[in-house]
Amino acid sequence: MPDKLITEPVSKLPDFFGEQNRCLCNKELYHFFNPFSLYCNMASLPQIAIPGQRLGPLSKYSAGPGTHVQDSFIHASIAGPVVTDAAQPKIQPKPTLRVSRVISAQDLQPQNAGASDGAKFKPRYNTLPAVESNVLARVTRVQKRQATVSILVVLDESEHLTSSQTASDNDNVASILTSAANPENHSGTDELRFQALIRKEDVRAVEKDRVVMDEMFRVGDIVRGSVISLGDQSFYYITTARNDLGVVMARSEAGNMMFPISWKEMRDPVTGTGEPRKVARPF
Amino acid sequence: MSNQRQASSASQVPHLSPAELSYLYTSLSLPKNPIRPDGRSPTQFRPLSAETTILPGTNGSARIGFADGTQAIVGVKAEVEKTVLAADTLDSRSLAQHGDALNREGEEGSAAVSGQGEWVQMSIEIPGYRDDDALPIFLGEMMRESLVGSVEHKDEMAGGLKARLVINKRWHWRLYIDVSLFLPLDLPVSATDIMQVLLLSQPLSYPLPLLSLTTHLALLSTKLPKLKSTGEEDPFFDDDWAAAEYLYPRSKPSSGAFHPVRPPVTLLVVSVGENVIFDPNREEISVADAVLAISITRSHDSEALKLLSIRSIDPPSRLTQPGIPNSENASMLGAAPTENPSQEEVTGVWRPRRGGIKRSVVARMIKTVLGKGGVGEEVLEGLEGVEVQ
Amino acid sequence: MADRRRVNGPPGGTRPPVFASLQESTTGAAQRAQRQRQPAELRKIFLKTGLIPTASGSSYLEFEPSASLAAARSNPKSLIPPSSALKVACTVHGPKPLPRSAAFSPNLVLTTHVKYAPFAARKRRGHIRDASERDLGVHLETALRGAIIAERWPKSGLDITLTIIEAEDDRWWGDAPDSHDASWGMMNVLAGCITAASAAIADAHIDCLDLVSGGVAALVSDDSSKSASSVPRLMLDVDPAEHRSILSACVVAYMPARDEITEIWLKGDSSKAALEKGDVRSSHEALIDGAVDAARGANTVLSEAVTESIARSIAQA
Repeated sequence: MPDKLITEPVSKLPDFFGEQNRCLCNKELYHFFNPFSLYCNMASLPQIAIPGQRLGPLSKYSAGPGTHVQDSFIHASIAGPVVTDAAQPKIQPKPTLRVSRVISAQDLQPQNAGASDGAKFKPRYNTLPAVESNVLARVTRVQKRQATVSILVVLDESEHLTSSQTASDNDNVASILTSAANPENHSGTDELRFQALIRKEDVRAVEKDRVVMDEMFRVGDIVRGSVISLGDQSFYYITTARNDLGVVMARSEAGNMMFPISWKEMRDPVTGTGEPRKVARPF
Repeated sequence: MSNQRQASSASQVPHLSPAELSYLYTSLSLPKNPIRPDGRSPTQFRPLSAETTILPGTNGSARIGFADGTQAIVGVKAEVEKTVLAADTLDSRSLAQHGDALNREGEEGSAAVSGQGEWVQMSIEIPGYRDDDALPIFLGEMMRESLVGSVEHKDEMAGGLKARLVINKRWHWRLYIDVSLFLPLDLPVSATDIMQVLLLSQPLSYPLPLLSLTTHLALLSTKLPKLKSTGEEDPFFDDDWAAAEYLYPRSKPSSGAFHPVRPPVTLLVVSVGENVIFDPNREEISVADAVLAISITRSHDSEALKLLSIRSIDPPSRLTQPGIPNSENASMLGAAPTENPSQEEVTGVWRPRRGGIKRSVVARMIKTVLGKGGVGEEVLEGLEGVEVQ
Repeated sequence: MADRRRVNGPPGGTRPPVFASLQESTTGAAQRAQRQRQPAELRKIFLKTGLIPTASGSSYLEFEPSASLAAARSNPKSLIPPSSALKVACTVHGPKPLPRSAAFSPNLVLTTHVKYAPFAARKRRGHIRDASERDLGVHLETALRGAIIAERWPKSGLDITLTIIEAEDDRWWGDAPDSHDASWGMMNVLAGCITAASAAIADAHIDCLDLVSGGVAALVSDDSSKSASSVPRLMLDVDPAEHRSILSACVVAYMPARDEITEIWLKGDSSKAALEKGDVRSSHEALIDGAVDAARGANTVLSEAVTESIARSIAQA
């Protein structure tokens, strides 16, 4: 019976006719609704914001990811915990307000010490691949001049790999990798993932002219790469020309998971045969 | 996909650079007197040529051409059809007649009196769009809704256009309004290329005003054969075309205060900054803050114009590419390129429009259309002036 | 366009029989439902996000069924339910790459699909979207595009799919289509779709200026007598099945934090409204203001639902 579903309605809707106040601010409602926000006035920040909620004046803070500016006030543009990153001298004179896209225990601390890692970690506006972000990608096609890969996950430097929950991919990284490396598991989700190209000259930093694409990647390999360009309308461009970039997981011709033995070779533990790859340095 | 995206926005993604957009926006949003690219005043329409009754095979037709070569041709055809109550409706009165049939017999079912909106069918053909794309459907629904929605309560047009289509309880007219848009070919092309150009080129501006004005004229010129039968008998008609009656009756010069019922007109209104601008061309619409389609008609019982419908249209300015201020431009000296887009507005740098419109702006746009001596009256008078036969 | 992929049911449809004796009894089933609410009172709304795990954002919205429906359920007199109440499921997929054929876009490309389930309305709907469903999709896209900050998501697309599980009636089922037979139920459906889609977009963490909610206001005249004194009254959140005739209705998509309208759709003759004395607004302005008030009411539910979903994910973290 659908009637039962309506158990938690807004208790009473006000009679809007008598109301003169044109700008009913939803902050008022949050006194009642939001168990996490202790103070919702202008002086202190709410702990949790929803889109459109006014957070603070532009004179006191600068706007970070997850917020937008309207009439010299910073408003939230996504729902999530409000984080204040402390001001950094020279670069950023004002503390930065942002709404965290990823919910981690660290962000829930009030006034979290953003200064501790603020220097090395750059908050991002979206979960899309951006220049210099590290990605894990699966090779879908190897051609003479380039390899086509589809980006499985954008590695977020700010998060630990285990707790990484990006909005674009809610699955955890481990499950993506194991299923992706499994050749039988090539479902039709490739058109749902962002495509990227590794051009021949971006494969490695040395002996670029001797690169043979077939000896660098095979279809199904999992590659760690770094985005160098947003590219054209359909492809990002990725490089693997660093020691820590390249193939991280691969199966041999026989179908067994291989282990790296050098920067350009991986070996099948069962058959003992080696196969050439552009191997990423294991951590 | 890309076609679908273009179809749903007000027209296509504008092909102007951020600098051009910013210049255009600034000149159009000048307080009080905006400067339009073609020098028109804010309420002035583009010059157009119009003629009616051009297609001999129709009950009514009209053609309007803009100076840029865009043309619309509308043909109205009427067919006699038997009235059936829709299967999903259950007229309680007809059921009740089982009980006391006799004293109810005098009453007519309400369906028979007032007509049904489905009797007016509208199809729009725009080159480059499939007939089930969003744009033709949206335009068609928009014009049909004001057409069948205009309800009058007095005299011979009681019930509006729908009621006019009723012949008797069992028969009605079905009206087919077919709109075709033709686009200019500005290059000398061979016959095989013409096909491609017709298919590929997009309308030069949002075609709504053109289609609406042409439909208005076509309906004005529409004639239905004179009914010779009376009452509930099967209808037969006078085959003298000269005796045919106009669908929208002409005003009688004898009665001074008589305001003839007229088909509705849909006007395209945009707001840029504080200004309200009519009949925008493609460049103007691409910087608009808000685009409204407002349908009006002449009220039957008073001088004032009547509002029939408002629809907001997605302004294409939301899809434009932003300009990059010098402070963020990597090619400028001393500027550090930032990955994060800047949050503040910089004057003279184009930002795609975001957000909606204030209610006060909506009210002002409606007022400019409806007000006494406003644009609506001007347009309707101008259309009256088009010689019908 | 004909649906050639499926074996479809009869196009006309059938309905359970209604006996004339029922029509006559004063307490019979064929009695129009009466509005129990105040003119400015909205129906209760159930809204919950994150119910569809495979989508990046999702929501489910339901309007409170009218009291007459509950009465008819507990004490059935007819096979035909007296009214229906909106039920909508919304899924958001993306941001995901644009298809290969698409041109480069610096902004997020929004695609909206509104589809009635075949069983959603009293008349069966086909599996292929018809004109009114596409029309709704365009309205919804306009409403949402104004709220989304599209330039934060370059080169990507967002698919928003709404399935109408139960639609609103355009009129009371016993009424024949008459001069006021416009599809008023569609406007309620649109308002619900806007609110549901906004919740799902917030659930998917897509940047928005504000939560955008939909609201409907209408001018209704309930008097059966055709006397001149019957003046239409302004009501919020009307259920078309409860009224004899609706003269004019307006639906808006509204962002309360900015006091801005991203979508407005008004139709019908709004010239004859009776406003309170001293009200200087013209009737269409009053109608728009009424719809905004209704949207503001829906927004309280919407913001509560979004807060609840974020609180839930924090509790899991």
